[in-house]
Amino acid sequence: MSRKTFFTMSGIVAAASMLLAACAQPVAPAQPQVIKETVEVVKEVEKVVEKTVVVEATPVPAEKPKVLRINLGTYPDVIDPQKSSFVNEIAHLKLIYEGLTRLNEKLETVPGAAEKWEYNADATELTFTLRKGLKYSDGTPLNAKRFEYSIIRNINPATAGEYASITNEIAGAPEWQGAEKDEDKAKFEEQVRQSVQALDSSGQPCKDYEQEDCLTLKLKLSKPAPYFHTVMSLWVTYPAKQENIEEGGENWWNSSKFHIGNGPFILKSLEPFVKGVFVPNPNYWGDIPKVSIEYQYITDSNVAFQAYKNDEFDIVGLAAEDYQAVMADPELSKQATIYPGSCTLALQFRNFKEPFNDPKVRAAFSYAIDRERWVKDVLQGLGSPALTWIPPGFPGYKEGETRFAYDPEMAKKMIAESSYGSVENLPTIVLTFGDTPRNRVRYEWLGARFKEVFGDALKLELKPVEPTAFTAKQKDRESDLQMFIGGWCADYPDPQNWLSVYFEGSTTFADRIGFKDEEFDKLIAQADVELDPAKRAELYQKAQDRLVDANPVAFFWHNVNAYMVKPWVKGIVTTSQDADWPGSTVPATIDIDTAMLPQ
Amino acid sequence: MATFLARRLLWFIPVLFVVALITFVLMKAAPGGPWDRDAESKQVDPRTMELLARKYGLDKPAWRQFIGYLVGDFDDEGQFVCGAVCGNLGPSYRQRGKTVQQILFEPPPEKGFFDSKFGHTARLAVLALVIALAVGIPAGVFSALKQNSWLDYALTFITNIGIAVPSFVVAFFSILIFAVGLKWMPVVQKSWAGLTPFIIPAIVFGFGTMAQTARLMRSTMLDVMRQDYVRTARAKGLGEQAVIWKHMLRNALIPIITTLGPAVAGLLTGSIVIENIFGVPGVGRDFIQSIGNRDYSMIMGTTLFYVILILLGNLSVDLLYGVVDPRIRVD
Repeated sequence: MSRKTFFTMSGIVAAASMLLAACAQPVAPAQPQVIKETVEVVKEVEKVVEKTVVVEATPVPAEKPKVLRINLGTYPDVIDPQKSSFVNEIAHLKLIYEGLTRLNEKLETVPGAAEKWEYNADATELTFTLRKGLKYSDGTPLNAKRFEYSIIRNINPATAGEYASITNEIAGAPEWQGAEKDEDKAKFEEQVRQSVQALDSSGQPCKDYEQEDCLTLKLKLSKPAPYFHTVMSLWVTYPAKQENIEEGGENWWNSSKFHIGNGPFILKSLEPFVKGVFVPNPNYWGDIPKVSIEYQYITDSNVAFQAYKNDEFDIVGLAAEDYQAVMADPELSKQATIYPGSCTLALQFRNFKEPFNDPKVRAAFSYAIDRERWVKDVLQGLGSPALTWIPPGFPGYKEGETRFAYDPEMAKKMIAESSYGSVENLPTIVLTFGDTPRNRVRYEWLGARFKEVFGDALKLELKPVEPTAFTAKQKDRESDLQMFIGGWCADYPDPQNWLSVYFEGSTTFADRIGFKDEEFDKLIAQADVELDPAKRAELYQKAQDRLVDANPVAFFWHNVNAYMVKPWVKGIVTTSQDADWPGSTVPATIDIDTAMLPQ
Repeated sequence: MATFLARRLLWFIPVLFVVALITFVLMKAAPGGPWDRDAESKQVDPRTMELLARKYGLDKPAWRQFIGYLVGDFDDEGQFVCGAVCGNLGPSYRQRGKTVQQILFEPPPEKGFFDSKFGHTARLAVLALVIALAVGIPAGVFSALKQNSWLDYALTFITNIGIAVPSFVVAFFSILIFAVGLKWMPVVQKSWAGLTPFIIPAIVFGFGTMAQTARLMRSTMLDVMRQDYVRTARAKGLGEQAVIWKHMLRNALIPIITTLGPAVAGLLTGSIVIENIFGVPGVGRDFIQSIGNRDYSMIMGTTLFYVILILLGNLSVDLLYGVVDPRIRVD
């Protein structure tokens, strides 16, 4: 029997290994011949074929529907213009709606629903003039009163939107949100209503949403803010209809029937966690998109990548784990679309805590980071080294910065010059990070490099904590954090959003790391209110120079956006702000070459 | 019987209370809150955080939040809002505008219950269970009857894989085989209507349960086969089929039923990996996300619901014993 058993067993093992081998085969990279039509397109083709057979007299060229299929990853928590705040949520909103202004492919602020805008002499009043005859996708008129409603809804503390503070330059807005007593609430609400006003051609407040000559929107700002027209391009101002929000209740955004917008697309259907379908909006004032868009929500990047290779998606994110395999493949490497992102990450120090209250120690650690190697070895090339704060592609980016670049000798010299005198005398330094498998590898790498530079005498402790707990610690000035990596992503492309919002001495961000620099604050205070764009840019440049000198954090790397895009997708123009999918800022240029679609 | 049921159901109350209390304490002990983001992305500003905390009552003392969640509390207008005791599992802090019970049980407009989140999970779990039992029980029986045959070895080999290989590996291989290789299904489903799209995920999902069932069935069958009453039945001159199906199988099923309760609960609550890989719009994905998100009411609501499922699973197992084995009395 034992012999029989042996044969049976070996037979099973052989069969199993054959099975495994068969399974393994499709994983092998570069097999374009495996690729087959997706289910949906196949159906359409069948239909058309039937038609042409029946109506032989008039052979209409079979137009395949142009659908751009994108994997968006996580499904949104909330798709409400005045409550959303995550990239995947905004990815929906910016197709359906449009703000008073919008960004173009160069990230310049250009007219959106408004055809022009004007500041008063000291930039405390901003007046928009809307285009005439604007329509919602259902054909109903869109006037300035709609924007008045949206902007006030965003400020209203009852809405409690997570991005409410972005319009806090509007006079009365922060006071209304902070008001405790009922009479204060009423007072500041009234002030906000005075600060945000839709006016008709005779300069009188508009009566209703139907009024055709209601084309002016006037904003009163609490301080000069010559960048505010760019803020008005953000999703928080998108004019969702009041009656729909009220009819649908808190949950209105869940149903495509309430999402009547003024953007380039119409939300045709929304199946939570499965699919969102957007079709071109014929009532849009500008260039009407050439393709429909279909979002799906697959969070597992492995699965999404398989689906992409199987021609089920046209655009998917490219995970760092797949990057090497893609680059090694002659076909796939051409489909990789990689461009600068909108975030900068920095090794941050609590400037008020030992030993980082000594600028020489901060300098030492800044010199000790081999950013080039980090980008190559750890980020697998998906990033670019950073020595300054504003990333490439954004107004205010400074090319050719060299201060605090990797220099192990300087790093050691700085420690020798510091109040500690030598590495031995430094207290234990704790590097805290959010505990994920990916981060463990990254931080161990970083710790090893520090040891390389400073020698084994460096007392460095790596401390992983649960990711959300790490975020909480970062925000708490009193927490045990000492050194950690943290960053910032642009809300809108203006240096003010990078320098003033993050590093101005009284902001919570600067306070958390303990940065307050008089010279820097003075420069940005001047820049923020400067009306002359050239002068303003120069002031911000000086401020950033000062920031790099002060070295409150060690600038580390700029992120990149990395995607796979099928070859038949044409006309994609990327910007650094496209963190959802490539081309999302100017979707009208995108087309699909149907001749190239696989049969 | 009625007193037994009543007593068991009454026991649910303290169990649920203790689970709620432990969950609440652990949840609150973890640093961070619902509006803390991933460290590499932009954070909500402090004033807005305060507004949100006030809106959702997170500025109240912890004990009041706990009581408020379970029993109810007064809202801003002084209206009493009933809590979990009335089936109100609270508003989600992240999926704004939805209550937890809506997230779990409310189908999209014009769809039925089985298109809700839990409906999807339930469809997947029930199908997985049916497949697991329909394959696992006969496999175990035949394995035992043909002990040490090639069939036995083949089945043992497969069940060992089922127990040893983690489900995400099986899931990924099944995608490579069925979607990429054979093209029986797309890698990513475009619709979850009906049962067809659930079949392959359910096979993968039920694979572990199937393997365990088959192994347990095999060993208990082998055990039962050597019992005196089986020998007696044979001695009486009963046909082989009657001996197997009436005397052996029925007795061998008891341990299977014991594992069935936890298995059902496990399937209903444990589909996180499968849901993620196959993109099934079910409860598991949300639950895991809600923990990282510190979506307190979502964590509490889903935990309580899961506990109820487990309790009900165990209760029905106790009741089933009586059906299979009349010697076991419930009272």
